[in-house]
Amino acid sequence: MSGEGFEVAVVGAGPAGSAAAITLARQGVQVLLVERGSFPGSKNVFGGRIYTYALKRLLGDAWKDAPVERFIRKEGITFMSNDSAFTLEYEVKDPEQSFSAVRAKFDKWLAEQAEKAGAQVITDSLVDDLIVENGQVKGIIAGEDKIPTDAVIACDGTTTGLARKAGLVKMLEPQQISIGMKDVIEISPGTIEERFGVDQGEGAAHVFAGSCTDGLRGGGFLYTNKDSIALGLVVGGDDVSIQAKPSHSLLDRLRAHPKVQRLIKGGKNREYNAHMIPEAGPRMLTRPFTGGMLVAGDAAGHLLNNGYTFRGVDMAMIAGMAAATTILDAKKTKDYSAGNLQSYETRLRKDPALKDMYTFSKVPSYLRNRRLYGVYPEIVCSAAEAVYRVDGTGKKKIYKEMRAQTKGKVSTLTLVRDLLAGARTF
Amino acid sequence: MSQEGKLTLDKRLALVSFTKDPRPFITVETELCKECEKKPCLYICPAGVYTWQDQLNYNTEGCLETGACLVVCHKIGAKAIHWKYPAGGKGVSFRQG
Ligand SMILES: Cc1cc2nc3c(=O)[nH]c(=O)nc-3n(C[C@H](O)[C@H](O)[C@H](O)COP(=O)(O)OP(=O)(O)OC[C@H]3O[C@@H](n4cnc5c(N)ncnc54)[C@H](O)[C@@H]3O)c2cc1C
Ligand code: SF4
Repeated sequence: MSGEGFEVAVVGAGPAGSAAAITLARQGVQVLLVERGSFPGSKNVFGGRIYTYALKRLLGDAWKDAPVERFIRKEGITFMSNDSAFTLEYEVKDPEQSFSAVRAKFDKWLAEQAEKAGAQVITDSLVDDLIVENGQVKGIIAGEDKIPTDAVIACDGTTTGLARKAGLVKMLEPQQISIGMKDVIEISPGTIEERFGVDQGEGAAHVFAGSCTDGLRGGGFLYTNKDSIALGLVVGGDDVSIQAKPSHSLLDRLRAHPKVQRLIKGGKNREYNAHMIPEAGPRMLTRPFTGGMLVAGDAAGHLLNNGYTFRGVDMAMIAGMAAATTILDAKKTKDYSAGNLQSYETRLRKDPALKDMYTFSKVPSYLRNRRLYGVYPEIVCSAAEAVYRVDGTGKKKIYKEMRAQTKGKVSTLTLVRDLLAGARTF
Repeated sequence: MSQEGKLTLDKRLALVSFTKDPRPFITVETELCKECEKKPCLYICPAGVYTWQDQLNYNTEGCLETGACLVVCHKIGAKAIHWKYPAGGKGVSFRQG
């Protein structure tokens, strides 16, 4: 690795890092983008689906060359008990608003765009440490290589190693993380379109709440790719540890559910993968910058998972762009001190997309309510069973049936309180 | 349940490609584990790297590099895990992430 002449080192070629590198390189900044994997995307795992607006903001019309799997036409949510399921489905007006993707393809493509813009991309290289002089970050250290730069943008993902080295965060707490894992199951494009009731090139995104997590905080997800289904599950780090349930056993529970079985029937397993998720939001770091360094993406908690929309990739790209813009500003005066990089935080808070992270900042604590994963999905399913069941034994009116179903499971007061808290949170 | 339901962790990990890092990137002071009440590493790891049989055993060959074990070991466990990523280009390589 040549150590000469880089103004900015970007660590991590995920969506945050590549977006930062593209933004800088376009303005003629000498950028080095360093990735530990053998290619960008080889270490990265998500559900998942990407919201298009962020890519449009970054690339303009060139977003259309992105390796899209399917544009998402159907949004679904299923509340499940062990042997039944209650599903709501919405057909979106404009499927182009989001698309399913595979990170090994998407992240690789995005890093190629950075390279095209003029960034130098280096793979197979793990950044171990930072060069620090008088409390100011002055470059990166990767093995034997010391690379001095004017500034560093840390986009190294959820283990947030560089922010820890810079003293911006201590060890995360178990309730600040989730663990996610998924099976990728091969199914022919025609079968996918038939099973999910979508047109060619269109797909579905689906989340599952209830019995699959066995009462723990978390939920299942399903996304349709071109010729595969990504079926996975996310569970809270504190819950899974303390309740002593192996995380992958919950994926088995999801997979074994009759509704899911019908969706993946006949499929062949292609890969199993897993990743950690930061759930604390931007308050995860004391601040997302220090002298000579900015932190963006998962590494800074730039992610919003509210149970029905999961936004990490779009947030990471926008945050990466904001970090790069901050560096471009600082470059004018060649002042990369913490005082001068402070505007990054304001930029993040004011950004119309990232603002959502701050607006919904109470979501993570609301979602820690276990009733959402145990008793409520159970009630939804048993109420639906009671409403739809006709066996000649006589039926109650729907309202009475609903009341009967909640009885003994949750008090009216608790129910009302949870509903109100939900209304205030979302 | 039909065969779609059955997929063991071993079968899952056999579908993942790895390039072995000869250096140990995770080490555990297993003596400390004897004092560890909750043993959260056994449950959080989606690759089953950690197992218990009379003592803590760990096999990093199937490690998917989530880093979650470090968090729970240090906050719920007895701070026995020393963790870093494998060397550049080594370790897991996902094709379907
Ligand atoms: C199960 C699951 C489901 C998800 N579903 C969705 C979804 O549907 N939609 C969505 O938008 N988001 C989803 N997310 C979140 C999303 O994946 C992340 O928010 C997003 O990847 C963050 O991008 P990033 O660039 O900040 O970090 P990452 O994508 O993690 O990239 C970090 C990069 O840095 C590299 N790196 C790390 N340390 C070093 C180092 N020391 N030296 C060199 N390189 C290094 C890594 O190899 C990696 O390439 C999901 C996440 C999970 C785990
Ligand atoms: S959590 Fe840490 S201390 Fe406890 S058993 Fe596991 S490795 Fe040992």
